[in-house]
This record gives sequence, C-alpha cells and structure tokens, in this order.
Amino acid sequence: MISFTVITIIIGFMLAIQFQSVKKPVVRDTRDTWELREDLQKEMELQSKLIREIRSNEEKLANYETERTQGQEQTLRNTLEELKEEAGLTDVSGPGVKIELDLIDNALIFDQGQQMLSPELLRRLLNEINMYGAKHVSIGGQRVINTTVIREIAGETKINGRSLRNFPVEILVITEDMKTARNLYNRMLVSNASEEFFIDNLKMTVLEPQLKITIPAYEDSIRIRNIEPVKSDKGGN
Amino acid sequence: MWLPVLGLIIGIALGLLSNFSIPDEYSNYLSIAVLAALDTLFGGIRAHLQNIYDEKVFVSGFFFNIALAASLAFLGVHLGVDLYLAAVFAFGVRLFQNIAVIRRILITKWSSK
Repeated sequence: MISFTVITIIIGFMLAIQFQSVKKPVVRDTRDTWELREDLQKEMELQSKLIREIRSNEEKLANYETERTQGQEQTLRNTLEELKEEAGLTDVSGPGVKIELDLIDNALIFDQGQQMLSPELLRRLLNEINMYGAKHVSIGGQRVINTTVIREIAGETKINGRSLRNFPVEILVITEDMKTARNLYNRMLVSNASEEFFIDNLKMTVLEPQLKITIPAYEDSIRIRNIEPVKSDKGGN
Repeated sequence: MWLPVLGLIIGIALGLLSNFSIPDEYSNYLSIAVLAALDTLFGGIRAHLQNIYDEKVFVSGFFFNIALAASLAFLGVHLGVDLYLAAVFAFGVRLFQNIAVIRRILITKWSSK
C-alpha cells in the first residue's frame, strides 16, 4: 500500500507540473482579421468624432474672433489707438534716419564758453525735417508732438521741460517708407543746417537710413488749456 | 484505501507549490509520462479489485512504462516520426479498457450487495 501511495504522490506531482507548464501562455491576442477590422473601425469612428468636435470648436472660435473685430467696441478701440499713435502717446517704429549733434573737437573751439544747442537752430532743423516728410520725431529721447515746446530756460535749452545738456544729442526721425527716408537723408546731407550748427561749434552727422528705428512715446500727459470744440449750428457748419 | 488518494492530493499540492515548470520542448515527454503513470495507476486499481495485485509488477510496471514511453517519444523526435502517438494510442486504449473493467467490477459489487 505504501508503494502505491508513493507512486500516487509521484503521479500527482507530474500532473501538477504538467498543468503549470501548459498553463503558461495565458494572454494572447487571438483576434482574427475581422475582429481587428471591427476594432479599427471603432477607433476610426472615434477619431472622426474628435475631429468633428475640434472643427466645430475652431469654427466657434473664429466666429467669436470676427464678432470681436467687427464689433463697435473694437472700432472705437481702433480709432483710439490710431489717435493715440497720431498724438504721440505710443512707441513707434519704422524706417527712418538718425541724426547726431555733437561737439566739435576741443582743438577747434576758440571760445571756451559753455557749449549749448540753441533752441532757434533746433526749431529750424525740426521744421526742415518736417518739410522733408518726417512722420514722428524724437530729440534726445523726447518725443516731439504738436504741443512740444523747445525753448531756453535759465541758459539751458529744454524740450518738453527736459534739458538737452548731454552731447551727442540724438535726433530720430521716422518716415512713411524707406524711399522717403532716403530722400530725407539726401536732403539733410546738402542742407544748410550743418553749417549753421558748425557756427555754434556743433557737428551734425546724418546717418544712413535704417529699416527700423524706434521712437519712444510722449512721457507726460497732454494737457490742453484754452481749447474747446467748435459748436456747430444745426444742419451744417 | 484512502492513503493513495491522500498521496495524489499531496503530490498535486507539492507540484503546485513548488512553482516548478519544465521547458516547452520537454513538455511532450512529461505528458506521455503522465499518461503512462495514469495507465499504470488504473491497471493497479483493476488488479487490486481482481485480487491479482502484485506490488513488484505494479512498481516495476510504473517505472518501466514511463521510461519506455519517454524513450519512444525521444526516438520519435530523432527519427522525425511521431512515435509518441503510438504510446499515446496504446496507453489510451489500455486506460479505457482498465476503466471499463473497474466499472464492471464495481457494478457487480454494487448489485450483489
């Protein structure tokens, strides 16, 4: 009986091992072509659904965008921006010319008095530049706007209330396009201004036109006194 | 009578707990060995019921059958002929015959009671 038991133990052991060996490969992808095709179709449907969703969302976005740009508010905003730019309240960049005013070398100066840039000359230069098609101008980092004042206060030339004491003084000019800039450059090269500045011991250098010049905004708020809109009569002006 | 059943259970438990598995190329041999062992087992049970049980014959038959089946399968693999099918066939037929005899004996025992 004992040998019988031993043999049954051996048989049981063998059976168990056989079971374990055969059981090993459990997970296998047993889908056939048709099932794979069905799964693929399902995924493709999902994909097309997602694409549709994306498209509708994009359309909505575009609609909102058009509404925003065409809205009245936007028009007002645009007008305001334009006016601000015209008035000189924004930074502007574009093609233009750079002019430098510097002192002449010390050896050439006979009169040792303090060198200063006369407001009269500066105003003249400004007029000339404006005549040749300047759109935006800044002098020594100060934006020149309609109400800008250039004058001498206590022996110092001031623009927008700020002294022009440090040489060289940089004058930045922005024009409509590159062609105008080149024109202005050529005219400034042959202008009398250079000689007039020379008399004041100043040297005017006009630099080649550049594609991108940036002019800072007017720093202070614009105060307008003694000015009011014209009251137009009914039905006409 | 219950000792062999207990032995079988112990053997299965041992095999499952040992977490032992044999490589794929040898699973053929093991399966045929299992078949041989089962055949011997049922043969033994039948002999026991017919009162012609001989321990020497049983034990020697067990090991000899397993060895023979395994070597047949080995030979078959090396000859390129599925010789193990012969063993499967032989053992299968004998298994059925043995079980049939056991069944008849049990039936006669039950009906005679």
